[in-house]
Amino acid sequence: MYDLQLTAEQLEFRDAVRDFVTQEVQPAAIDPKRLEPFEKPLMTGFLDQLSQMGLRGLALPEAAGGAGADLLTCCVLLEEIAAGDVDLAMVLGETALLARAVHEAMNDSQRKRWWPKFDAGERFHLALIARDDDAELGWSYHHAVPADADVIGAPEVVAERDGKGWTINGLAPFVSNAPVAGLFIVQAKIADGPGTVSVLIGSDAKGLSIDDELPAFGGGGERARWHHGAMAAVTLKNCKVAEEDVLAADAAHRLLQGLVARRSIQTAAVNVGVARAAYEAAIDYAKMRWQGGAYIVQHQAIGMKLADVAIQLEAARALTMKAAWITDHPEAVSERSVNDLPWHVVARTFTAQSLHRATLEATECFGAMGVMRDMPLQKYVHDTLVLQHSADCDLAAPLVVAEAVAGYSRS
Amino acid sequence: MDFSLNEEQRHWQSEARRFSDEEVRPMSLARDQIADPRATFDWDIIKKGSKLGFRTLAVPKEWGGHEADFVTQTLVMIELARGDSSVSKTFSQCWKWSHLVAASCTKEQKERFLKPFMEDDGYLLGKGGTEANAGSDNRMPPENDPKAGWKLRAERDGDDWILNGSKMFIANGSVAKLFFVDARTNPDVGIRQGTTMFIIPKDTPGFRIGKVFNKRGWRFYQNGELVFENCRVPNSSVMGEVNGGVKARANDKSEFGDIELAANALGICEDAVGMAMHFAKTYKRAGKYVIDHQLVQLKLNEMYMLTEALRSFVLRTAWERDRKLPDVGNNVLVMNYSQEVVQRVTKANMEIHGPEGCMMHARVDKLIRDALVWTHLAGDTVQRVKVVKRLPDMPLPM
Repeated sequence: MYDLQLTAEQLEFRDAVRDFVTQEVQPAAIDPKRLEPFEKPLMTGFLDQLSQMGLRGLALPEAAGGAGADLLTCCVLLEEIAAGDVDLAMVLGETALLARAVHEAMNDSQRKRWWPKFDAGERFHLALIARDDDAELGWSYHHAVPADADVIGAPEVVAERDGKGWTINGLAPFVSNAPVAGLFIVQAKIADGPGTVSVLIGSDAKGLSIDDELPAFGGGGERARWHHGAMAAVTLKNCKVAEEDVLAADAAHRLLQGLVARRSIQTAAVNVGVARAAYEAAIDYAKMRWQGGAYIVQHQAIGMKLADVAIQLEAARALTMKAAWITDHPEAVSERSVNDLPWHVVARTFTAQSLHRATLEATECFGAMGVMRDMPLQKYVHDTLVLQHSADCDLAAPLVVAEAVAGYSRS
Repeated sequence: MDFSLNEEQRHWQSEARRFSDEEVRPMSLARDQIADPRATFDWDIIKKGSKLGFRTLAVPKEWGGHEADFVTQTLVMIELARGDSSVSKTFSQCWKWSHLVAASCTKEQKERFLKPFMEDDGYLLGKGGTEANAGSDNRMPPENDPKAGWKLRAERDGDDWILNGSKMFIANGSVAKLFFVDARTNPDVGIRQGTTMFIIPKDTPGFRIGKVFNKRGWRFYQNGELVFENCRVPNSSVMGEVNGGVKARANDKSEFGDIELAANALGICEDAVGMAMHFAKTYKRAGKYVIDHQLVQLKLNEMYMLTEALRSFVLRTAWERDRKLPDVGNNVLVMNYSQEVVQRVTKANMEIHGPEGCMMHARVDKLIRDALVWTHLAGDTVQRVKVVKRLPDMPLPM
């Protein structure tokens, strides 16, 4: 049965993360000195400390030195981190996601060479350069330019045979975790043949270069940076990869399989964390702010907003946890206990829509304070907007659910 | 019914449209993207607009202004806001207070303050009401707490008054040359009975500008802190009567402040609709023009529907004020309506544009950030509650 009761061990881990985030991360994240500037550099000190608590290896099997957490547990912890800082949650979520997948995909010799490096340095994160099989999520509406053109922002990476290894060339314009990654998992198109090859490239490899992170406003001011976590373009120029760093084809296929869905569900949990921070701030303020002859929480107008935020938050969390649990228990679908739906889309799109609204309502409780950049509310609103309009979430994304329930596929 | 504009209205509309397209819009994004809130302001655009009459549009002809009617003022605000909402607001803020001056100042005060305002293209107006612990309380003072509301104190000293205290979030705070300031002259009674309004030039000793607030949206628009430290103001600068500050404000029957926000929101909506249509007709996604997707057609329909409904409501309300028809609360209702419309329309614009890789169109983002300001403007929820007392038992025919 679907069970949300955390074990004593899970509770202990969650509370340790919650305490650290509440006491250390959040006060720094909402310091006006950090909130006011456009640029918000990743808080790498906290990233390292959270890594030391084992969060990079959260989803790695215990035998591999990880915490062996299922996706539901990952979501519980990512919500805690995101309530403090959305960027830390996105970076750690990506590394945890990839660590589990790549550790499984590596052969023994690859693990022997790469895993000591992962274990040794808390600054050693993971990044993936790959063409998302389902980049056309939502009728490819926002992702593809004309049918004959390409997916916006998708990597163009090509591998040429070079003896027993490969020479890799190409550009990936937007790579999550690139600025902090120690290891890149790169999927490249084979130049003189069909298919792809997936290889492991260290961040110190010759020919691999990482651009600076995007400024808040780019392209002559016409474009605004619109992502969370750490992101940069990666260029590969005659980058040599030895045979020993090539992932077996079937292993590489498994690595990518399900990655998008897991990432979507993790992102929904991050979204819950952001909205929770807004919600908690609004409750504190409504109990403290005195106007109209009462603490404002006593006014029906404010009470109703807080109630609505609480309801939206719980509904979004419930759906996120359910989607995570189903991913952890695929037999629940095969044995017909739950509907066969793209649960990651269900959770991700509902969460994004409802929690933007909830965060806006929480912000309204603050009056003018809600739009001031030295207060965190306006940032929470922005963060939920980014979550609603990015990568795997857009106007058309829920259409994937229509395909599933009606049993047709997009043309 | 006749919805046509007269020649003067059309003239101002086209002047404002030209200025907005040629001057305001080109500087809008660059100013929005300046990180220091004190550095976002641009005197050049203010002075250019002033020379065209946009600063003094609402001043009576008797004092050298244009005495434009409310429909005209509305049309100009819409056009300017289409170029940049916060530039439009900087101009219309001056109209808001020139209505007050016309309604409540003595002839001598008009000589002293309106004349320099008319002569100086860089002369802006502001009004100080809000304080750190007095926001909604000023709009709707609670009956059970006479001490609620602004605390800034003014005490009589011979022919002068001595002011102490501070104001927060004051519009045009760091750029205005003249302020209308609400102060407590009787702290023992409620603000309706114990407030006096003072007219205070920027260079008055003991008065200074403190912090300039750093906002997510409306970044061009300056909201400042006003600090009064033993600031000496002559009794001749009291607007209306001592302890009659709230009445002096109420003398201004224009209710301009509410229509103003609705008209400005309409300008943003027009901008958003224009951007969305342009994008949808220019770019292709998944093999066809964006506008050929049903989802987008429905969004565009929604954006147009809301924008046109807002336009009808805004202009009808302005028309009612011009004819001095009975005030049945429409000015507040239209402002409340604009709050919801501007959120929905700017958000729909973002949905149609969508993210591109890890970037968002910066102006799409700006419109949403500007719209965010409406969630609290003029105490939106308080106004919603307060206006109910003014609503007739049944909606009246026009």
